[in-house]
Amino acid sequence: MKKILYIFYHELTDILHDLGIMIFIFFVPLVYPLLYSWVYTNEIVREVPAVVVDESGTARSREFISKVDATPDVRIVARCRSMEEAKQWVMAHEAYGIYKIPRNFALDIWQHKQTTVGCYCDMSSMLYYKGLYLAATDVSLDMNRDIKIERLGSMTERDKEITQMPVEYEHVKLYNPSSGFASFLIPPVLMLILQQTLLLGIGMQMGRTRERWNGFIIPFKRQYKNPIYIVIGKAMVYLGIYLVMGIYAFTCVNRWFSLPVLGDYLTFLAFLVPYLLACIFFAMTLSAFIYRREDCILIFVFLSVPLLFLSGLSWPSSAMPSFWKVVSSVFPSTYGMNGYVRITTMGCSLSDIRTEYLALWLQVAVYLTTASLMYRSHILKMVEKTTR
Amino acid sequence: MILAPIVCIVFFTSLMSKGLPTDMPAAVADEDDTPITRKLVRVLDVMEMADVSKKYHTFGEAHKAMRQGEIYAFFYIPKGTTAEAISSRQPKVSFYTNDAYLVPGNLLMKDMKMTGELIPLALTREKLRAVGLPEKEMMAWLQPIQIEAHPIGNPTLDYNVYLSNMVVPGIFILLILLTTVYTIGSEWKNKTQKTWYAMADLSVAIALGAKLLPQTLLYIMQWWLMDYWFFIHHGFPCQCGIGTMMLIGVLTVLASQGFGVLLFGIQAGMMRVAMCICSLWGILSFSLAGFTYPVTDMHPILQGLSVWFPLRHYYLIYVNQALDGFSIRYVLPSVCWLIAFCASPLLVHYRYRTAFLKYEYLP
Repeated sequence: MKKILYIFYHELTDILHDLGIMIFIFFVPLVYPLLYSWVYTNEIVREVPAVVVDESGTARSREFISKVDATPDVRIVARCRSMEEAKQWVMAHEAYGIYKIPRNFALDIWQHKQTTVGCYCDMSSMLYYKGLYLAATDVSLDMNRDIKIERLGSMTERDKEITQMPVEYEHVKLYNPSSGFASFLIPPVLMLILQQTLLLGIGMQMGRTRERWNGFIIPFKRQYKNPIYIVIGKAMVYLGIYLVMGIYAFTCVNRWFSLPVLGDYLTFLAFLVPYLLACIFFAMTLSAFIYRREDCILIFVFLSVPLLFLSGLSWPSSAMPSFWKVVSSVFPSTYGMNGYVRITTMGCSLSDIRTEYLALWLQVAVYLTTASLMYRSHILKMVEKTTR
Repeated sequence: MILAPIVCIVFFTSLMSKGLPTDMPAAVADEDDTPITRKLVRVLDVMEMADVSKKYHTFGEAHKAMRQGEIYAFFYIPKGTTAEAISSRQPKVSFYTNDAYLVPGNLLMKDMKMTGELIPLALTREKLRAVGLPEKEMMAWLQPIQIEAHPIGNPTLDYNVYLSNMVVPGIFILLILLTTVYTIGSEWKNKTQKTWYAMADLSVAIALGAKLLPQTLLYIMQWWLMDYWFFIHHGFPCQCGIGTMMLIGVLTVLASQGFGVLLFGIQAGMMRVAMCICSLWGILSFSLAGFTYPVTDMHPILQGLSVWFPLRHYYLIYVNQALDGFSIRYVLPSVCWLIAFCASPLLVHYRYRTAFLKYEYLP
């Protein structure tokens, strides 16, 4: 016990003396969530600029245009005479979409024919497309209903309502009612930041030790003999710091940027501990491959983006090739991000996320073993070298 | 350095090889359970996006399945729907999507919205038939105005085209920034900067140029490989022809290297801080490039900041050239920015000279 405490104290002071490690384990987890939330704080795209080519020029077509303009998603910035003119707007990125209303728009409706409005979208961002297309669809559905009633003629008010909508339907967006971008992206990113900074911090510390002790991964101290003690002592340092970071993300960041929080505080803590432990032991195992302090930046930083995609949060895991699913199960972040989103955003209990929770504990066990084995084999090598 | 970009190229294209995710697990919570609702369930299953394979008998069961992550969405048909519909009492059906998972939620919403429209239409059709309307005019009755979507440049809404085309170059730029700083910084770390400087006849430009040239060539080769893989092997849309994209690639590689040299120059001698900044910068560029969430809707300060990210300019040029095939003059400012990034090391030329002569590596 005394030895563990000694290692704990020694590792802690070691970290506090290295500015590079401090940046990654204090500055990044504290500031990056804020930066990210700030970027996405508007949540949704409103008033996408679009232009109209109104070849019909009738009351009906003007009704369509003003209704589209009235939706929160789209803003009509200009009415153009031809497609060529409209294209100029899109090329200059002053508009992101073109609505083309055909010449016989009103005529077709009067003659009981189907008419088609073209919706040309710039595909540089899916959110533009979504806004432009949904606004037009909603308006067309709305107008269709009115047109139907006009045609059916004499009816009572209630009859009209029912003809408009024989069966009412509603769409309920659970857990993220405005389909906001921040509410979707920030929660998993918070967890990913924890894992990535742990990888970087522990990796850098390993590099630091190697540089200071001639390539050996532990200091020449008599307390550093038992690999289990080393692993536990080191883990305690990081666990202590990162519990604070995790709680900070859960309470402060979520509240400041009013991200959805349905989760129970204790459930979150019960989940955070295995996640952090899995990350710490995972990082220790990987740190065996780090020889210089700066190496880990090169190796770990770019991994963040693929890991986000591997988690199945942005790209649905049902559409993922099975090979990549297997790869994703290696990283604690896959389960950490999914579990965290379920707990905070969806308000799940631990029994709802049993799979993720058990997987994390399994990773804790596996990576604890590998980390200890790594230290053990290294100590044996050290002994061999020094006695020779 | 060689492996990582190639793994990334293959990773992203194979991960999203389906293009648009289809058959995502969804369910029906059918509390009514009559022949009509069962027919509806069959209609739901033909939706492109959803695989409505699961069926629950209560709302609670379906909700639990969603919380456990088995399904992304479900349709809820409350008890008595059929009876109310037949007696014209306007029943209500609902669909629930899990928008904590944005992409599946959004895609399923589109499908379900259509189906939600179709249910009442199916009932209206019965009525219209009774009125004696010919089948041909039926659609004009049901849907007088139709919206036809024309996604310019990416007609199949292929997510592979949309995301891989940006994420992979983003990772390239991140790696270029990091390796540039790493290789320059290593000289200070190994205390060989003076010999290196002497070798270049005391010229900063020769020293840096010669040092980075092999990397430039390597990254350009990899960038071209990426272009080949995307535009020829996978057939991603490329209106301007692959040659132009390759040229843009060369410009972007040089710009990123220039930017890396600039960042290290500002931090002269502090390799670790420079690398930290590079990684923060590189990761942030995925957000500030604006391909996920448009820059135009961000805070004005962030809009101003976004021009300092090479990926942002690459994105604008790529959209203009490959996706839309417009004239380059519309993105001339971005081209100028990239060229400016290439030339930016000139700003810190004098700092390198002092760094060579005076600074030591700070641990």
